[in-house]
Amino acid sequence: MQPGFLSIRSLTKRYETMVAVDDLNLEIAKGELVAFLGPSGCGKSTSLRMIAGLAPATSGTISIGGKDVTQLAPYRRDIGLVFQSYALFPHMSVLKNVMFGLEMRKVPAAEAERRAREAIAMVQLEGREDRRPAQLSGGQQQRVALARALVIQPSILLFDEPLSNLDAKLRDEMRSEIRSIQKRLGITSIFVTHDQVEALSMCDKVAVLNGGRLEQLGTPNDLYERPATAFVASFVGRTNRLSGVAEGDCISVGGKALRAPGASKGKVELMVRPHRMVMTAAGETMPDFGSEPINSIDGEIRDVYYAGDILHYEIDAGGQVMSVERTTSGGETPVSPGSAVNLTWRVADTLVFGAAQ
Amino acid sequence: MDERPVPLTLKILAFVMFVFLLAPVVLVVPISFSADTYMTFPPSGWSMRWYVDLMHNSRMIGALGTSTLLAVIVTVLSMLIALPAAYAIIRMRVIGAEALLALFTAPLLLPTIVLGLAILIVFAGAGLLGTFTGLVIAHLIIVLPYALRVLTTSLAGLPLIVEEAASTLGASPLTVFTRITMPMMMPGIVATAALSFLVSFDEAVISLFLTGPRITTLPVAMYQHVETQADPLVAAISVLLIVLTLAVVMIVDRTAGLTKTFVK
Repeated sequence: MQPGFLSIRSLTKRYETMVAVDDLNLEIAKGELVAFLGPSGCGKSTSLRMIAGLAPATSGTISIGGKDVTQLAPYRRDIGLVFQSYALFPHMSVLKNVMFGLEMRKVPAAEAERRAREAIAMVQLEGREDRRPAQLSGGQQQRVALARALVIQPSILLFDEPLSNLDAKLRDEMRSEIRSIQKRLGITSIFVTHDQVEALSMCDKVAVLNGGRLEQLGTPNDLYERPATAFVASFVGRTNRLSGVAEGDCISVGGKALRAPGASKGKVELMVRPHRMVMTAAGETMPDFGSEPINSIDGEIRDVYYAGDILHYEIDAGGQVMSVERTTSGGETPVSPGSAVNLTWRVADTLVFGAAQ
Repeated sequence: MDERPVPLTLKILAFVMFVFLLAPVVLVVPISFSADTYMTFPPSGWSMRWYVDLMHNSRMIGALGTSTLLAVIVTVLSMLIALPAAYAIIRMRVIGAEALLALFTAPLLLPTIVLGLAILIVFAGAGLLGTFTGLVIAHLIIVLPYALRVLTTSLAGLPLIVEEAASTLGASPLTVFTRITMPMMMPGIVATAALSFLVSFDEAVISLFLTGPRITTLPVAMYQHVETQADPLVAAISVLLIVLTLAVVMIVDRTAGLTKTFVK
């Protein structure tokens, strides 16, 4: 692997009874925004705390810009950290909060204040410099926390689920704001989240963690279209699972023969994204896939859910339950439960994994 | 706390409780303005003579000075000892922190009279009886468990994450403590100081064992005065003590917020 600006080698965190982070290897290039994505307890926050120096690593190394920082105390690491619960200093004004890091760096008071005011303006909090954190809303507090971490121009900016305490609308707003500030300043950043939409829509790359191990590091497109493991496929986006037995690139699923690219031998799991499956009911015309190889199975509708923009069908295909979506157009009547349907999708949209999980 | 209307019965009950608790204290006030030479209620006449008497009572004034100086020194020392101890127990998680806390606060559970006797025996050998140093050490033994209790509770209630934020911003552990942790602990520190001062100032049992003809504290002097005389002098002193206590409580209320300090 090419050594990155932030280089994590064999990073491990072991507690008495469990391994929280297990042999993590990661290279992050300068200016990149990388998400650490995974379910709770996957080790993403622990990894972040080790990078920040707040939790000692059991083994492995962390280096920033070629310098090994593994043994350095957090206050010597030059890192900005934005916490989920803001962690503002309650006894200081907004301005003093933002100035704190500059003060610690012995920046002259006048310059520190000028830079702090700039940072406060960047997060759109002008006029609130003299407020106490308790007088601000959650969203505003998180902006102060962001300004406080940005103003010191850290070599790396870390976000620990910074948007989880905010409501949905504010979250969207902050997401694009953080992204645009991060891009403008070109700060290498790590964004810990359990929200895949956040990870996919904001970040250059996403590292998916599970059980303390790195499942895959890739671009959002890589993760979605070319997931490396069954865990990534099912955690990122929704999928339908089918289990079968492979023989070459032919897979037998409940007596039906399906095809998948690159299948091997033995028990396998097939996954298909719900919206990549086309459902055809009796009397409807089958869509034309041209010369593309396709898979096709028959099933019966068990349930229909209306979700406004889409109609969500649950289909029983020979004992395996699948979800299929159709976008609504306004006038249609949903195909009723009990109807026989056919499901068709491109072989290229079929993901196949060994059935180890 | 949510602000729900207090039911009338609860209000009456609270009032009755207050009367029960405060009546004896309130009774002292009229008696202190008595013109009689012994304590009776109601007094047969009114005067300021016992306050004037107090001003000229060098033994009482001396004891008041000793008690005040003692309480101030004990408060400062207990803060200097308990604050680092609380930090070591809560934040640094030294080995056996729980056991240490239990050990340090154990004197709270001992009967004061037993403690007094034990201190008497030890101090007699060390030549500390009837000395100011002896009183300081003995009062520290009584005050420290309170100080440590309040400070550990105060520190444990602080979010560690705020201190972590300061350290990622470049603050060394000592800077984090002085700039972040201590200011956030201020209500607890004020409460500890007030409590330490009042506990020391009010301490009578152990002081009885340690004081002598050369040195005495105000509660001991009052006790000895009542033993021999029944005049309202002690009532006058009591009123001054009530005023002093109220002053301390009001300072706490103004600086840190009373409910925030003692209730939370």
